[in-house]
Amino acid sequence: MYLLEHDAKQLLAAQGIPLPAGVLFDNPAAPPALPPGPWVVKAQVAVGGRGKAGGIRKATGAPEAFAAAADILRTRIRNLPVRTCRIEQQVSGATETYLSLMVDAAAAGVRVMLAPRGGVDIEALSEQPGVVRNEVCDPDAAAVAACVDRLSADVAEPVRGALRAAGRALAQAFFAHECMLLEINPLFVMADGAWLAGDAKMITDDNALERQPALQALLKARGAAYPEVALKAEYGCDYVVIDDAGEIGLLTTGAGLSMMLVDELRAAGLKPYNFLDVRTGGLRGDPTRLVHVLDWIARGKNIKVVLVNVFAGITDLGEFSRLLATALERASLKVPVVARLVGNNLEAARGVLAEHSIALEPDLDAALAIVRKHLAAA
Amino acid sequence: MINPRIDRHTPVLVQGITGRAGRQHSKLMRQYGTNIVAGVSPKSDTRDVDGVPVYADCREAVTATGATASVLLVGAMQLLDAIRDAVDAGLKLIVTPTEGMPVHDSLAARRLIQAAGVTWIGASTPGMAVPGAAKLGFLPDTALLPGPLGIMSKSGTLSYEAGYRLALRGIGASVWVGVGGDPVKGTRFAELVPFYAADAGTEALLIVGEIGGNEEEEFAAALTAQRFAKPAFALIAGRSSPEGVTMGHAGAIAHGSHGGYAAKRAALEGAGATVFDSLDAMVKGIEAWRKKSA
Repeated sequence: MYLLEHDAKQLLAAQGIPLPAGVLFDNPAAPPALPPGPWVVKAQVAVGGRGKAGGIRKATGAPEAFAAAADILRTRIRNLPVRTCRIEQQVSGATETYLSLMVDAAAAGVRVMLAPRGGVDIEALSEQPGVVRNEVCDPDAAAVAACVDRLSADVAEPVRGALRAAGRALAQAFFAHECMLLEINPLFVMADGAWLAGDAKMITDDNALERQPALQALLKARGAAYPEVALKAEYGCDYVVIDDAGEIGLLTTGAGLSMMLVDELRAAGLKPYNFLDVRTGGLRGDPTRLVHVLDWIARGKNIKVVLVNVFAGITDLGEFSRLLATALERASLKVPVVARLVGNNLEAARGVLAEHSIALEPDLDAALAIVRKHLAAA
Repeated sequence: MINPRIDRHTPVLVQGITGRAGRQHSKLMRQYGTNIVAGVSPKSDTRDVDGVPVYADCREAVTATGATASVLLVGAMQLLDAIRDAVDAGLKLIVTPTEGMPVHDSLAARRLIQAAGVTWIGASTPGMAVPGAAKLGFLPDTALLPGPLGIMSKSGTLSYEAGYRLALRGIGASVWVGVGGDPVKGTRFAELVPFYAADAGTEALLIVGEIGGNEEEEFAAALTAQRFAKPAFALIAGRSSPEGVTMGHAGAIAHGSHGGYAAKRAALEGAGATVFDSLDAMVKGIEAWRKKSA
């Protein structure tokens, strides 16, 4: 889960990482009490490039800060709505440095990246020889600390000492929260060697959520900011709305096949509404998850048809069809349903779906032809 | 060199055999022909599942039965310990279908298996198979036909669909390895290139990939480095997926150009592979190759 900066900073503060004081702003009618100014007002969206997109502004007076925050809340950044801002103290007179830790999947280790000077634009900085250094080390805190020491060996004080201290603190947080990525850019170093995390990009591993109480608490308190993760934690399936104006709701299982289906529908000029990996193996005879999914799909204002696609290696299609029929009776969605089923116990599925007047086609292209008919008729 | 070739004699044990999934899939694997010689369950009192003896740990099971491969059907949070048990017992090939293994556990497991020289397929995989001989995991029988095509895939379901459609047209697989959808995993596409290059039963190679990570790009580099002389085909899912959102698999997330479809396609084509945009195009392309080579 890609944490919003404010949430990442709350977790880092609890790990003892020094930060500029800041507060969350989400309601112009009830602005929070601010720490002493001047301030920087930052849009809370989980994408890079916020500054370039106008999502970061400076303010010297409180009314100005609140006006900037209210203004940012009305914008979209890289097509994402901004629901909250963080208003935090500006830091001045500091050297801006860079430090990040990342799971390196290919090397099965931790990639440490470090730059002793520069600015926020790490990509541009990478083009200057010798500024950005990186190395992969073993996935443990001692190895990360040793790696930071090696990468900063030629850096002058006080920056070197600050990077060494920051490396140890970040390694602790990285392993404690089972991060995929923890990036501090800029990492401010003051003249006296003190350091502050100016920004924080933290991506954690959703698979570890059940043993990460702090992340569970965050998700419980701020689930609306992380809809896909909250949904998976609660319902056990992956669901992403990919086109608000989509016309075809997808009730599909398997991440790869579902992604491919979305690709092929779009290439054919059709408009899928959502991606879904419902995980038929996890239904265990209970239609509740299917009812939820159909209700979510019903929120699409242009939904004209639902396409069910299941390749059943293990799943019993007869049982799945019974669950689907029950779910359709309970759900609020009232559009035609086309089922493309192939695999285990297809014959039983035929009987069940025929009883409920649900079209069934084992061939995907034939199923799509029926989908097109419904789209044309709607 | 990693060698996942198994046959119907390979002695296999199943860790977690007394659980719901363990019982079900052991039965299905045996029906397919897999030689399951033992089960392991550290906690259960059950000492026999459908005639398969059950032991308390892998070492005991290996000593008693000579098992060389293991299928681990245990929970995601127990997986690292179970892998450690398998590695300590000297098993040479382990397959972990379990979804949801924590990434930091995968990092630790990868270090363990590398140090011990063990081949690990997974996690989040339907497993692997030598069609007509044996399967480790739950690749569906309807998609398994013996033949000349090496298959590697990240996604289970998409590979079922691909294998099934190819099988309907009489094109089967030599060795099918589901490497799985996780970012950190036991075996990556590129690591199997030397095996498929050397394998006499493989005449061409298909990878079923998806957006996210760098595996397809690494695979392309390995084809070039290996001077891979057999035809290579690729089907990549997710070209229309939104950026920054995980699409079901933990590994399937594109950030900017990193892990995106265009970069993968360019790398694969640069290495001489044929990249298909749809299942239908993939089947037609491979069918055309088969007709030409037959």
